[in-house]
Amino acid sequence: MILVIAEQKDGRLNRASWEAVAAAQQLSGGQMPIKVAVLGSGVAGVAGELAQAAVAEVLAVDAGALGIYTPDAFVQAAAALIREQAPQYVLLAHTYQTRDFVPTLATRIDRALVTDVIAIRTAEGQAAFARPMFQGKLVADVVPQGPAPHLVTVQIGAFRADAVQKGQAPIVTVAGSVDAAAIRQRPEAPFQEAKQAVDLSQAERIVAVGRGIKSQENVAVAEQLAQAFGAELAASRPICDNGWLPMERQIGSSGQTVAPKLYVAVGISGAIQHLVGMKGSRTIVAINKDAEAPIFEIADYGIVADLFEVAPALIAELKK
Amino acid sequence: MKIAVCIKQVPTREWQPRLNETKTWIREQEASYEMNEPDAYALEEGLRLREKHGGEVVVCSAGPARVQQVIREALARGADRALHVEDEALGAADASTAATALMAPMKEEGFDLILTGLQSDDQGHAQFGPVLAEKLGVPHSTIIMEVQFEPGQAGAIKVKRELEGGWFQYVTMPTPALLTIQSGINQLRYATLKGIMAAKKKEIRKVAPPPGLVPRLKVVALYAPQKSKQTVMIGGPAAQAAQELVRRLREEARAL
Amino acid sequence: MERETLDVDVLIVGGGPAGLSAALRLAQLQQAKGGDALSIAVVEKAREAGAHQLSGALLDPSALAELIPDFKAKGAPLACEVSRDSVYYLTPRRQLRLPITPPPFRNHGNYIISLSQFAKWLAGQVEAEGIDLFWGFAAQAVLFDGQRVIGVRTGDRGVGKDGQPRGMFEPGADIRARVTIFADGVRGHLTKELMRVLQLGDHSEPAQFAIGLKELWDIPRDRLAPGTVVHTLGYPLRQEEFGGSWLYAMPDGRVSIGFVVGLDYQDPLLDPYSAFQRFKQHPFIAGLLSGGQVVRYGAKALPEGGWNTQPSLFMDGGLIVGDAANFVNSMRLKGIHLAMRSGMLAAETAFDAVRAGDTSARALSAYKARVDSSAIKTELFPVRDVHQAFSGGLYAGSVFAGLAMMTGGRLPGGVTGHAGHTRLKTLGHYYGMKKRDILTGSNAVTPDRSLTFDKLTSVHYSGTHHEEDQPVHLLVHTEVCHTICGDEYGHPCVRFCPANVYEMVDNGQGGRRLQINASNCVHCKTCDIMDPYGVITWVAPEGGEGPQYDGM
Repeated sequence: MILVIAEQKDGRLNRASWEAVAAAQQLSGGQMPIKVAVLGSGVAGVAGELAQAAVAEVLAVDAGALGIYTPDAFVQAAAALIREQAPQYVLLAHTYQTRDFVPTLATRIDRALVTDVIAIRTAEGQAAFARPMFQGKLVADVVPQGPAPHLVTVQIGAFRADAVQKGQAPIVTVAGSVDAAAIRQRPEAPFQEAKQAVDLSQAERIVAVGRGIKSQENVAVAEQLAQAFGAELAASRPICDNGWLPMERQIGSSGQTVAPKLYVAVGISGAIQHLVGMKGSRTIVAINKDAEAPIFEIADYGIVADLFEVAPALIAELKK
Repeated sequence: MKIAVCIKQVPTREWQPRLNETKTWIREQEASYEMNEPDAYALEEGLRLREKHGGEVVVCSAGPARVQQVIREALARGADRALHVEDEALGAADASTAATALMAPMKEEGFDLILTGLQSDDQGHAQFGPVLAEKLGVPHSTIIMEVQFEPGQAGAIKVKRELEGGWFQYVTMPTPALLTIQSGINQLRYATLKGIMAAKKKEIRKVAPPPGLVPRLKVVALYAPQKSKQTVMIGGPAAQAAQELVRRLREEARAL
Repeated sequence: MERETLDVDVLIVGGGPAGLSAALRLAQLQQAKGGDALSIAVVEKAREAGAHQLSGALLDPSALAELIPDFKAKGAPLACEVSRDSVYYLTPRRQLRLPITPPPFRNHGNYIISLSQFAKWLAGQVEAEGIDLFWGFAAQAVLFDGQRVIGVRTGDRGVGKDGQPRGMFEPGADIRARVTIFADGVRGHLTKELMRVLQLGDHSEPAQFAIGLKELWDIPRDRLAPGTVVHTLGYPLRQEEFGGSWLYAMPDGRVSIGFVVGLDYQDPLLDPYSAFQRFKQHPFIAGLLSGGQVVRYGAKALPEGGWNTQPSLFMDGGLIVGDAANFVNSMRLKGIHLAMRSGMLAAETAFDAVRAGDTSARALSAYKARVDSSAIKTELFPVRDVHQAFSGGLYAGSVFAGLAMMTGGRLPGGVTGHAGHTRLKTLGHYYGMKKRDILTGSNAVTPDRSLTFDKLTSVHYSGTHHEEDQPVHLLVHTEVCHTICGDEYGHPCVRFCPANVYEMVDNGQGGRRLQINASNCVHCKTCDIMDPYGVITWVAPEGGEGPQYDGM
């Protein structure tokens, strides 16, 4: 059996959990039943949502002490659940919360944990989990060692939430096993801070411009295009060197490294210094006048054109 | 306050990977190395806490003899002494193995606060900190932006933790505790000539790892990321190309 | 903020083979002779040992064997012994093997090494002696007391582009020494200052340089036997240009391949980097590299002028060693052993002087006497006029080189050289009045991104890194660039720089302006040497930055 631990906050499901379900369905290949657990206080609604997947069972693990996330409470509840359910694998999305409690969980139950997985393969007759290493320069196929269950966290965006097979699963409510006195962390309410700097690494979509946009006036056009895409505006180095955009919007080896859902490169030739900062993006669109530009080699979609030729049409199309 | 900072030596950012014969690991002896960047920020935070509250900073590292490079660097920047669990095989150790190697001698030291980077720039498991906390039986918090220490309080440590999407949260916990530090939370100091000279005289305690260390993760293949992409070139007049691109982004790539 | 100071007996500036050999020799003398321990320090701008070291490299082990007789037992990283050598003359499509390998190209008994790895190992030997090695500290200026050298000041760290402190500012340190040994390498920026202030070059011929471009490749393992050494002359250079290539095969399919172009070429539109890329396209070379992969790139100037271009080697409180003193045998393409030996001789002199309490120029002149009675002179003196003769073109030079070898250098009348950059012709002189595209090299190559690469991609492979937010470390009087240089020389900096540091960009008013991409710099010093107006000065960026020459 594969146990997926979904993530919720204030009764709202983290969409990345669907990706963990998709990964579980792939890992199972129809051979292992899948159960999805969600931990919290008052999680019936989330459990109902999860029950729309083709899985054997949804476990609503409920406890007052799970209402506000703490690693101590979640480790206790998850450890008890795993002992009870005895799965072969435990899958989660590689979120900040997962990173906070799952390594501790794996240690407490003394089992192997593979994090940040981007693909599942078979090696030497067993499941091997591909994960980036050395800052994405290499990929390693990793086989967790020792007895089951093996814990696996999947990189956000690596598995497709829309690939989840739909179904109707029964919901079972489980009383979460938490000793509130053993919780050592005292969290305060989360708060949002006024953005100090642009954190491009958090952006879902990015429109990036390069030297090929030719003149500073075209930055405004690119800005409109970014707005139409609902994207942050970024740039390759020459643009920031010219002072057309601030340094903090620079992508590449001397700027930020990003991996958004959509990366639209406009007038960027694709120097290796730029590519190392963005080649992990899920979908890459290249718009460049030069059909030979290396950026086309890593793009999913390419248009040979200048910015000012396609931007108005794109903006109009996106507004439809 | 007795502060431990766990540091790791990792290949430099500029290093070009080269694989070993079996293509399951890198050629470690050919790489150039530096201190893992988030660990450098953890060290700086430790030094600042010591300057404010007194005590000592002990750098701890598990790895082969080459790790001395970053231990020396940490001592030159101002750490008081070092603990080095030394073994050639630890160069490729996973997070759990490294934490197991460090557990006993660190327990013996009885640290009040343990700091380390949120993840390593080589293997990038993002596991070591929480795993070590559990092995030492202390509470932890991860991806920390700010550390406040109020001696004598029940929740002596108050941290600002980064959540996703621009959210943050304050968390308090008792000492001893372990925190994983986010890069960029402070400004790193430079090593001075005197610091480098003083580092030579500082104690580096070398300890052998416990017997029977078994890796938790086995790398069966290591390779460059595969290009599976087939670029779809979209031609035609601008309006038509724009329409086609947006359609594909919506329906095929689901990126909109 | 207070400036750090340090007082030592002997300060060595530069952690290459010359500086490290000097340090080790001092430690050995200390041990052999006993007495009060000298304090010795080495400063080096690279963040770790070997990071800025680039050479072919073939090592003549003569000096090493004297410095560390048990170098093999101590694990010196010698990739392999040279097993066969050959020299080819290349035409555009063919290669002609010289029937006999000329004596200077015979490498029996020499080793193929990575200079970077070798320096790292040598640094380990020095460190084991308890000597203070300060990596990541760039010596920025010489400290003088009148005409006497009293040490160096290291560069400030943590200065922003605007010259204001950024983050954790750390002012440079003053390191004062009784003797300072300058081992700052080819066209050392401190040696250059010494030569200007103390007129150390007044009695020598103008220095001559070449640029060496290098790539490390991994090729199929069975293609070249380890220990294979190939040198080529000819294509793609013309008779008017001095230069050639090397190709050294190491174990595991690793190959060092490089190209040297004399920095005394005449064609203002020549690009040495393009010559290297073009060379790789030659069927002979392309065949060897096909299916392989480039792993590292780098470039460095090298002294070519030989014996007659050595500056005065000593001054009150100071000595000059290694490449900084132009101790390279350009006939044999070798200088590591000379660098090491000169470092050792300087160490012996400095040791005696400190012990005797007299570190004046008079006392330190013993270094020059030592050099004159050493193997350095035995090797360099007979070929003292060779490079200068090459300025007459390849064939004349070859004949001259042969004669020099046979006659032991006894030729009527010395040949006097001119500083190489003065031979660069203006567009008008070289091309006549023909209109030309002045931003495209005369030998430009369209990179295919598997065998040949554009400069920016190669910069990536050099591993170079600089904080963007710091003052530009290439001081250029830019008025010349947009006013007269375009018409006269067609902005040669964009071509002779092997790292895309210099770029002429649209100034928005229909003209061009110079943009300096300082963070691309690989510290090769070519711009400081080759700029026809002499308006570029290379100074050290923040300590610890620059290329990362693993395995080079």
